[in-house]
Amino acid sequence: MKGLKKYYTNKLVWYFITFIVAVVLNFVLPRLMPGDPVSGIAARAIQGMTDSTAIQKVYEDYIEKFGVNEPIMTQFVTFVKNAVRGDFGVSFSQYPRPVSDIIKSSVLWTIALQLPAIIVGWFLGNLLGAAAAYIKGVFDKAILPFFLFVSNIPAFGMATILLSIFAINLGWFPKGGGYGFDLIPNQSWAFFKSIIWHYQLPFWSVVLITIGGQAVGMRSMSIYELNADYVKYSRFLGIKDRKIVGYVFRNAMLPQITGLAMSIGTMIGGALVAEIVFSYPGLGSTILSAVSGRDYPLLSACTLIITIMVLLANLFVELIYGVIDPRIKAAQQD
Amino acid sequence: MKKRFKKILSLILVGAMSVSMLTACGGKAEQAAAPAGEEAAPAKEEAATEEATPAAEETASNEAGSTPRNETLYFAGQQWGSINDWNPMSANSNNAMGITQNDASRILIYESLFMYNMLDGKLYGLLGKDYKWNDDQTELTVTMNPDAKWSDGTPVTAEDVAYTFDCHIKYNSSKGNDYGSYIESVTAADDETVVFKALLDDTGKAVNPLKVLGYLPDLYVMQKAYLEKVEERNGEDADKVKQDKMEDLVASGPYHPYYDDDQKVVFERDDNYWGVSLWGGLPAPKYICHNIFADNAACQVALAAGEVDIDQQFITDVQKLWEEDGLPISTYVDEAPYGICASLPTIFYNVEVAGLDDVNVRKAIAWAVDYDQIISSAMSNQSPTFKDVPRSIMNPTEGEQALLDHEALKPYQFEGNDIDGANKLLDDAGIVDTDGDGIREIDGKNLSYKAECPEGWSDWQATLEIVAAAGKNIGIEIETYFPDANTFYDDMTTCKFEIGMFWTPGAAIACPYLRAANFFSKEYAELDVNWSGNYGHYMNDEADAILKKIPNETDTAKLKEYYTELSKIYLEDVPSFTAMYKPQMFHTVNETVWTGYPQLDDGNNIPPMLCTDGYGIAGLYNLKNVEQ
Repeated sequence: MKGLKKYYTNKLVWYFITFIVAVVLNFVLPRLMPGDPVSGIAARAIQGMTDSTAIQKVYEDYIEKFGVNEPIMTQFVTFVKNAVRGDFGVSFSQYPRPVSDIIKSSVLWTIALQLPAIIVGWFLGNLLGAAAAYIKGVFDKAILPFFLFVSNIPAFGMATILLSIFAINLGWFPKGGGYGFDLIPNQSWAFFKSIIWHYQLPFWSVVLITIGGQAVGMRSMSIYELNADYVKYSRFLGIKDRKIVGYVFRNAMLPQITGLAMSIGTMIGGALVAEIVFSYPGLGSTILSAVSGRDYPLLSACTLIITIMVLLANLFVELIYGVIDPRIKAAQQD
Repeated sequence: MKKRFKKILSLILVGAMSVSMLTACGGKAEQAAAPAGEEAAPAKEEAATEEATPAAEETASNEAGSTPRNETLYFAGQQWGSINDWNPMSANSNNAMGITQNDASRILIYESLFMYNMLDGKLYGLLGKDYKWNDDQTELTVTMNPDAKWSDGTPVTAEDVAYTFDCHIKYNSSKGNDYGSYIESVTAADDETVVFKALLDDTGKAVNPLKVLGYLPDLYVMQKAYLEKVEERNGEDADKVKQDKMEDLVASGPYHPYYDDDQKVVFERDDNYWGVSLWGGLPAPKYICHNIFADNAACQVALAAGEVDIDQQFITDVQKLWEEDGLPISTYVDEAPYGICASLPTIFYNVEVAGLDDVNVRKAIAWAVDYDQIISSAMSNQSPTFKDVPRSIMNPTEGEQALLDHEALKPYQFEGNDIDGANKLLDDAGIVDTDGDGIREIDGKNLSYKAECPEGWSDWQATLEIVAAAGKNIGIEIETYFPDANTFYDDMTTCKFEIGMFWTPGAAIACPYLRAANFFSKEYAELDVNWSGNYGHYMNDEADAILKKIPNETDTAKLKEYYTELSKIYLEDVPSFTAMYKPQMFHTVNETVWTGYPQLDDGNNIPPMLCTDGYGIAGLYNLKNVEQ
């Protein structure tokens, strides 16, 4: 038990240090990008203006308002102070809309799309991998290679293929958006149906490319485990196949759990492609517009969310490993 | 035994797969509905307030659930993000669909005094009935339209116009900052008469009467009573007033806000709209809806699918949509260039850069560029050629072309792709390649430049590639550079570029003067941050002197002389060169549901302004539902 406590404390301290470094990088990196964030906003504000001094006035007003003329240390202190209170300031590109408001309205869409897609992809991938390892036959010779092929299609390619085949050519699915182009959100069956309908292509574009990667990992782990000494030994002992399969599966699953946690951690970044190709609402497209708009506050907030999610996912895996992987417990007790 | 086990396991696996797929579908649907459920609330509330009786409520919530296809005009290419306010004084409103104040303002929600028509360059009455200058152009008197009413039923008065101007000035809105430099005051002589007093210079002349006139089709008139309410709730604090969302707005236009979220913005027709007396009826569509698309490609897909009626975007080879795909899609003009070109995307030289300060180098590059290729490939023929409309500082519209002496400019014209001429010009000027690397030098320094425009502006990027190729043919190294838009804006406005492509003013009541200033103004060039024009800091005293004379000149013959002279300087000195002509707005329509869109020479004189901007809104009243 003492070993485990040391293990957990050690991990927590390291995660805290990583977090601090990440927060600093989150703040600094966007600000190192070339380009002036005020330019874009000013461009919109002064469109059509002709008097030069008036234009200058507007421009200077913005620089002051956004505090981008302050030294970077002062900006950082303000950022941290506000971030602790959950206030990420106002967005530059959608000024004066608060960053928290933008994130609030898009994050649910992303989670609703990505979380089920990752879990389903992971689940199907592992089933396929296990089937390919044990049953072999068509699973190993046809289905797995097929999904392996599919998973190597880049995300934007897959999304575009699905869009062009199923939406544009066959017209089975809508061509984009989160719900019908002619609907207004309400609590009706028609709207609910529309949500499900619009969900399909973005969802499967994520699922399909997840399956192959997961399956091939699961397959090789399972084969490795199947040939492990303990399996042979168990067979000699005459333990039932089903029981052995249980052991093998549990051991083979360990790296897969890490994979799952990691993909959940990075899901917001991964959402970008599906959201953009299908004009689907969510945080992915928000990040993209924040990058191109040099929207520091929005960008910092988004990357901070990703950082926290990745760290939490990792931490969760490490903590759960302490419990489910006896080897770690054993190592700490040495 | 082993075989049986395999069979059972495979059955279980197949079963598990199917179940997981099904549960996945169910699960995701529930979760996906969550954000939408949240957003459903405001729509429902809105519906409930509209219909008070419980029986009517049900119908209302049904109506709130959709914008029926055959009652709605769908737009694309105007609104790229969720809207943030309804405030015409806001400097950051990204509510393009609702609030766009420019030379031909979008008058769906709010209305301007007059509507600009780029076809004839005239102003048509809306909230204002007519306008008149005094003899020395220092006072502009506008008579109000007595029929005009606010959405709350009260009349639109001269007092509202005056108060709107005062608020723009008082709260330092961008428009206030701009017009405050040209207009001294706006006062209500009586309920129906407004007097605009121009700001005068030392000689007692108006600083720029064109800008005073430019106010009329540009600024929305806001209700005095409502503005006072907004001021009161914000304690007259300038920042707060400008950031007020004005969701409870009172306006005079034919539509009012109906619904908006991250995916769309919807307006609903005001059936009590005052303009019935002006237009002879209500606009045809009950709803105006703009879904928010991720990019141009998504807009084009929706247009082809009939989910968009009016699309404002550049579509490569737009004619293929009807010629090859057989879709009911059309443009304002049936044949190339498919629209009315009114703006001049221009390639500016930074004349402070060594080499580009030499007129021979500037001229040689401009001569060598293959404009026909730019027009046929980058623009897919959606621009007249320079043979059709010879080069000058004017746009191709008839009104502006009439202000030029074409014969006088003939000797200075160039049509491009003149590699021999350009090479000879450089050779004669002694600008040659001495070290044999294929690149000419001046003072031992290679002529090597970066030509930039923003990443993703594909037609411009293609144009600059053609410019770079031209450079190669004449021994000048031109490398293309496509940064993100903000970096590009920064480079252009602070003169950190070498060769840069930028837009110039299109059609406006104050054009071609504004465009001329964009090419030559010394005042612009002297700014630290310059968003106005003359980005490459070209200085020419002669041009500047002519420029100063134009705003107060009313004699057309004189104006023609001035503009011809400026064009001559433009062609001879090449401070910049126009790469192509571009429509003021891309105006592509799908006639699956609505028909009767404005077309060139249909006798209605309605410009291709999306049925929403300036006098283009007249098109909204001519639309017919295909089914009816």
